[in-house]
Amino acid sequence: MELENLKSIWKELEAQPTPETDGEQILALLQKKSRGPVARMRRNLIRELLLITVTYIPVILFYLVEFEGRLSAISGLLFLLGLFFCGYYYRKMMLLKKMQCVSCMVRSNLARHVETLKKYTRFYLLAGTLIIPFTAIYVYAILRWKMPHASGLQLYHRLSPAPWWTNSIYWLLLLAPLTIAIYYINAWYINRLYGRHIKKLQELLREMDEE
Amino acid sequence: MLYPDLQEAFIHLVDQHRGILHKVCRLYCFTEPDRQDLFQEIIVQLWRSYPSFRGDAKFSTWLYRIALNTAISDLRKQHRRITLSDPGSLPVELQDIQYSGEKEEQLQLLYQAINRLTEVERALTMLYLEDKSYQEMEEILGISQNNLRVKMNRIKDKLRKMTKEATYGIGKP
Repeated sequence: MELENLKSIWKELEAQPTPETDGEQILALLQKKSRGPVARMRRNLIRELLLITVTYIPVILFYLVEFEGRLSAISGLLFLLGLFFCGYYYRKMMLLKKMQCVSCMVRSNLARHVETLKKYTRFYLLAGTLIIPFTAIYVYAILRWKMPHASGLQLYHRLSPAPWWTNSIYWLLLLAPLTIAIYYINAWYINRLYGRHIKKLQELLREMDEE
Repeated sequence: MLYPDLQEAFIHLVDQHRGILHKVCRLYCFTEPDRQDLFQEIIVQLWRSYPSFRGDAKFSTWLYRIALNTAISDLRKQHRRITLSDPGSLPVELQDIQYSGEKEEQLQLLYQAINRLTEVERALTMLYLEDKSYQEMEEILGISQNNLRVKMNRIKDKLRKMTKEATYGIGKP
């Protein structure tokens, strides 16, 4: 079959009636939400943000009011984490907004999609890893300066010849492998979520560019 | 309805060009539910982008861009692929059309061949079959005309080979 034949078959196909999609049906489709990957990512992000807001606010208020305010430092920690999350969600939302330009040329849209998705995953990895040492150091600081000593602890400190700062060093030494482990777990998880998608988009882009 | 005039104009334009949209859906999806999903997604994306359509490009160019961008970058898992080896597996809307035996066979060959192309090749094939010039293809895809010519020659060879294989059984085990 010659290619010109293919063209004539294709043209004939055009002449045949397409499934009826009247105005009412199109109007109904306009009310529906996008089910594209970027729209789904955005919706998931908003759900996550709502969940964090709903769980954080009561806990912040609880530690602020209860225990005569002696544990208000925990509220401070959660508030700082809340601020961190605000920045985190804002950055992610901005990246998702920039991720697609469906009315742009196909190649430039793909390039933009790949580049922004890579930025998105890098940020996800960085933020997801840094939050662990940040929280651990803050929790340690609260325990050290705010919590009352447990019984027997003062005696232990009197008997222990090690200076006060050795404990902090031990904490940091424990924190380093934990952070590294979290980094690899996050990298694995992010790759599971977006790895195939990025790879496929890169393949498409490479195919468009190769001569 | 917030923008009845805009909505009316949009629906009118989409209705005029729905043939293109259905063809894109047929090229990129293998089952009816997938085609409906993609059609819906393209309409949603067109509607979202419509207020920013300033008429710098032809409406059809703009429509092709959005339809192909949506189809190509939509990497959802598709339902089971169908192989077009019997008339019952033709796209549903084509089953009712009375084709002659030869035409039906040719149509199947066309779909079989297209199904074996990559997403980018399918986009190029569609624009070729639609008789788009290289200039228009460049405006839609963003690939230089020289590169388009090279790719198009390769795809034509591929299609020729595939349809010949299917017609004469060459290369089949």
